[in-house]
Amino acid sequence: MSLLVADNISKTYGSAGWFRKSTSEGTGVRNLSFSLEEGTCLGILGESGAGKSTLGRIVLGLLPPDSGTITFEGIDLYRSDRKARKQWRRDIQVVFQDSYSAVNPRMRILDIIAEPLRNYERLTSLEERRKVAELLVLVGLTADDMHKRPGQMSGGQLQRVNIARAIALKPKLIVLDEPVSSLDMIIQKQILIHLRELKEKYGISYLFISHDIMAVHYLADRIAYIDQGSITDVRTTLELSNTASLKQP
Amino acid sequence: MRRRWVLIVSLSLLLAVVICGVLAPYLAPHDPNIVDLTHKLEGPSLTYPLGTDQLGRCLFSRLLYGTRVSLSLALVIVVACLIVGIVIGCLSGYAGGWIDNLIMRANDAILAFPSLILAIALIAIWGAGWKQMAIALVIVQAAYYVRFVRGLVISLKQQSYITAARVSGTNAYRMMIRHIIPNMLPPLLVVVTLEIGWVIMDISALSFVGLGVQAPTAEWGAMINEGKSFIRSHPRLMIAPGILIFIMVALLNLISDAVTEKKGLGSPLRRKREAAE
Repeated sequence: MSLLVADNISKTYGSAGWFRKSTSEGTGVRNLSFSLEEGTCLGILGESGAGKSTLGRIVLGLLPPDSGTITFEGIDLYRSDRKARKQWRRDIQVVFQDSYSAVNPRMRILDIIAEPLRNYERLTSLEERRKVAELLVLVGLTADDMHKRPGQMSGGQLQRVNIARAIALKPKLIVLDEPVSSLDMIIQKQILIHLRELKEKYGISYLFISHDIMAVHYLADRIAYIDQGSITDVRTTLELSNTASLKQP
Repeated sequence: MRRRWVLIVSLSLLLAVVICGVLAPYLAPHDPNIVDLTHKLEGPSLTYPLGTDQLGRCLFSRLLYGTRVSLSLALVIVVACLIVGIVIGCLSGYAGGWIDNLIMRANDAILAFPSLILAIALIAIWGAGWKQMAIALVIVQAAYYVRFVRGLVISLKQQSYITAARVSGTNAYRMMIRHIIPNMLPPLLVVVTLEIGWVIMDISALSFVGLGVQAPTAEWGAMINEGKSFIRSHPRLMIAPGILIFIMVALLNLISDAVTEKKGLGSPLRRKREAAE
């Protein structure tokens, strides 16, 4: 069974009100279907405005689609009961593009990474610190960094903090929404290497949303090309390297 | 740099006024309510630094005690507004949908009236007195806070750290306490400083027309009211409290302005990002 299955999902943005006509323009997604196997990475490649981030929000359970279903381990995300929702909410995590705005500027790194732990587990403060220290080391930072505040860190370091927060609960799926796009090349590479290691070590699946074909190619097992809200082509990364002929509009 | 000095000077002056109010029982040369008709309407002297009013009460002592009443009343009203505004504004902004609509339309109904007129109408129903005045002012002022807080919550909701926290399983209550309210405070404090000034004016205005603080309690607005019969012969009875109101409101405005301009200081992260861009 696939970990995540999207079946014919559509979401269009538009506004209808008392004084406005209903419009259905703007970027959304149209009749998207794909599946993601456990322990693999599906790359979603597309230009800006192609509907990539909309897709990410739908997968995270934050934006109900207009039609179609999205199932995670056989549970429909938008028709699940409270108990099931609590479970999948824990199993799907996210890393955003802008590492600065993805952390609360007033919180210490310790509190940022410990937030998901505090929401789901009852740890003593000593256990919590130990766990956060472990996570920090795992993403290539040091345990002392937990006392810093976001203002004292660089964009790349903060992205590592975001990754540490995402993996804190050992999720099954992480949505990576342009995780390296705002970083410089060398840091990008380091982060990608870390992400690949984590995937192999813990068997985490990724939905890797990006416009950067090199980054997607490095991390993804399969790549779906999305254009104007629809998937136009799906290839395995191997095929792609052999033919290098991803269909372009 | 000049702004910095404005801030420092106005803050210290404000602090001085507050200290004078707090220490009024020790600083005041006389009991503010002791009537001594043998000394009525005297000019400034060593025993009476600012002279006496029509009942022979020490004007300086009354001003000091009036500071206490005006400032503490203004502070209580603003804090009450703040609590009401944060609770209802967060509920409205975070929940959205029909809850938001309901709260906002009720809010609009209050905002549709000129605030002072509505306060006067409410006091007319309940009767004059400082408690009634405080409740009426909270009701009319809190509507502005609700709207402002709701706007802040809606703009904060767009931040990715709020989305990230939601994905981490943070519930609505923790979201408010940990993320939204702490990040809302800097802009809110700027508004609050300004609002204290307005509330001081409102209190004085309502007390002046006899709806707020009642005689013989010393309060700036009420003192102006009592002094108005002597505007020709002894204008200082009105001028002294008037100047004090003016100074307080001006100081609070200056502080609010200076803080607004320095607001970037509130968040080291924002400063850093601006430098990087």
